[in-house]
Amino acid sequence: MSEYILEMLNISKSFAGVHALKDVSMRCKPGKIYGLVGENGAGKSTLMKILAGAYKADAGEIIYKGEQREGASAGEVIDSGISIIYQELALVPQMSVAENIFLGREPRYALGLLNLKELHQGAAELLARLGISLDTRLPVRELTVAQRQLVEIAKALSQNADLIVMDEPSAILAGSELDQLFSIIESLVVQGVTIIYISHRLDEVFRIADEVTVLKDGELVDTRPIDQLDRSTLVELMVGRPLDEIFPQTEHEQGQLLLVAENISTETILEDASLELYEGEILGIAGMVGSGRTELARALFGADPLTSGQITLAGAKGASWINPAQAIASGLVLVPEDRKSHGLFTSLSVRINVTLPILSRLTRFGVLQSLAEDEIVAEAKERLSIVMASADQEAQYLSGGNQQKVVLAKWLETDPAIVILDEPTRGVDVGAKFEIYKLMRQLNDRGIAIVMISSELPEVIGMSDRILVMNDGRIVGEVAQEEATEAGIIELATMADAGAEPS
Amino acid sequence: MNVSARLFGGLSGSQRLFLRRYGPIFAVYGFIVVLIIIGATQSERFLTARNLTNVARQSAFLGIVALGQMLVILTAGIDLSVGSLVKVSILVSAIIMNGESSNLFVAIVATLGLGVLVGLIHGFLINELRIAPFIVTLASMVILRGIGLSISTSPVGKASREFIMFYVQKIGPVPIIAFMFAVMLVLTALLLRYTVFGKYLFAIGGNEEVAHLSGVPVKLARYGVYVICSVTASITGLLWLSRMGVGDPAIGDGIELQTITAVIIGGTSLFGGRASVAGTLGGVLLLGVTANLLVMLGVNQFIQGLIQGIIIVAAVAIYKQEGD
Repeated sequence: MSEYILEMLNISKSFAGVHALKDVSMRCKPGKIYGLVGENGAGKSTLMKILAGAYKADAGEIIYKGEQREGASAGEVIDSGISIIYQELALVPQMSVAENIFLGREPRYALGLLNLKELHQGAAELLARLGISLDTRLPVRELTVAQRQLVEIAKALSQNADLIVMDEPSAILAGSELDQLFSIIESLVVQGVTIIYISHRLDEVFRIADEVTVLKDGELVDTRPIDQLDRSTLVELMVGRPLDEIFPQTEHEQGQLLLVAENISTETILEDASLELYEGEILGIAGMVGSGRTELARALFGADPLTSGQITLAGAKGASWINPAQAIASGLVLVPEDRKSHGLFTSLSVRINVTLPILSRLTRFGVLQSLAEDEIVAEAKERLSIVMASADQEAQYLSGGNQQKVVLAKWLETDPAIVILDEPTRGVDVGAKFEIYKLMRQLNDRGIAIVMISSELPEVIGMSDRILVMNDGRIVGEVAQEEATEAGIIELATMADAGAEPS
Repeated sequence: MNVSARLFGGLSGSQRLFLRRYGPIFAVYGFIVVLIIIGATQSERFLTARNLTNVARQSAFLGIVALGQMLVILTAGIDLSVGSLVKVSILVSAIIMNGESSNLFVAIVATLGLGVLVGLIHGFLINELRIAPFIVTLASMVILRGIGLSISTSPVGKASREFIMFYVQKIGPVPIIAFMFAVMLVLTALLLRYTVFGKYLFAIGGNEEVAHLSGVPVKLARYGVYVICSVTASITGLLWLSRMGVGDPAIGDGIELQTITAVIIGGTSLFGGRASVAGTLGGVLLLGVTANLLVMLGVNQFIQGLIQGIIIVAAVAIYKQEGD
């Protein structure tokens, strides 16, 4: 038997004549962590789906545990000890934690009768191995995203996996949750499990991977041991061009006061939050998942009714609003966190997605002026460098970065004064991230104020002029960019008894 | 507080969960109780043993198919063909039985076999040709109705004597048909709670892709659920024959909508992944008691339709408020 647990050799795959993967190879030794990086559309997910048995490769071979694998089904792949934790978490929300962990391999008596006792005991034991306690009878939809991820890992463990593929596991985790994930990964590796770790966050790859494989446009760029790489080299390999500066900075003075929120609370966990927002600045909101960041954004946008406090536009206007329509009319827009369910009509064309909020402006006597529409879409495409086949392409076929740009384009058409971005770069590749950062600066130059919520601390620190830190539904501190450090923000964000003294 | 306590605290409210999940079902049963009180005070005949036996039987007729329908809807599917299949089943069984006891066994096996066949065809079209369940069963609803009416537009065939007796038999005070329904309710509840097949139905309805990637035999389970649903329709066709004594082609129309209504009132989501036997029973009883009460009170039958429509909207509104 060779020293490798898995060898994927010269894998090619095309969809409808378009190469998704071309002659890609990857080898993994037991008990090691392999980073798999590349921009969206580079072919990482396709490669992993071939490994999972969801797709069949057109050419190439997979040798697993010394045996050549032929057309295995998803179930057979799992039985052979390969588990894949997908980016879009693969859990059934209505089913319980235990049922999800053992889905497809339930402990059973004869006649297909469930062994409920073993189901829950087994699930509890697996969760205990991960150092977490969780009611195994709870439906998964009651869990936080971080908890769901841990359930996924428990599911992989229950499959006695020798090889676990994690597709963007950290995209939804904040600081300390990430530490927990890493300590779990490390303990798995000690037990001899091999990990393939797909991530956009290069810091993480450097932190845990032993070796990194880079894909670009469906082709293998390079595979190197981590100690022969530095951050900028890796970025260059991924995007195929050097990136001088990740976070573009602009010089600007603090502008006019635009918006004031005073002691606002909603029925969610948001409590007694106050903030001011100035023209042309980026206000970063940091905090753990569930700390109230998204709730703050929703409150500002009028999506959740205020139970106390008030929000007003500063200056002569002095407008306030109680619902999103009024907020938009006052020049405030929210680009939500989960673009697939809140921001984008995935099955509709790019054209409709971009022009929807302003359709009424594009009609004459109630008839849509399609020329005007085309112009707007073309302009947005140009300005945001959206990569798409045509304006009629369905949004679901765009890459994550381009989808995000479409969502941005849509709201920019309303000519806002304030843009709230909730996780603007989640699931977006490095190159597109950079473009989104540049775009944010362009908006600043036009005087637009941005409120940015992000779980990625380097991003928050790199982009924000000021950073508000949230904890337990309250704003617990404000940090200027010059003074901001990751450690300092994490400390504020995880401090116990947060509400005691909002500073 | 450490991190995991932060992450996992505050979710222990299993009572809150219980209320959220079952609250609407209690509401349905509460409404049934209200109807019964209205019936008892407004009509002398409502609380008689004779009338209650009737309600029980009628609920059983609807309820057996509703259980099959519920399982299909649980997988995010739907079966519009059950009414037409009840019609074909009563005709086929009546013709084969032809009044002879010696044909009883063959007639029952053939009718149930018909249900299995229809279910397999549904499963095949949905699984292999990837046609949406709504379309597949809409087509078979039309086709089966056509077959039924081309067999005969007037009553045909005849039930054997002992088969007719089956309808009126009782176990103690309980009509045997209601007893059968009760057994099927329990079996379905056990199926959902204690069998792997039951869990697969939840998984498919909850997220088919996830189920597939987890190694759940999605196609097999789907064949199973459509066969079960069609067989419940065939059984109901047989029960109608027992009741009518002849193969009446007027039987069966509208059962598909009534079952879907009962299932929805019972809190099963049309988008799949959620189902409750107790809820479906509540839905069936609510429809049964309402229909019976409206007749007892002499309400115009067009108004009955109106009232049923209002009940559906009210029920779904309650679930929207308290669910999710």
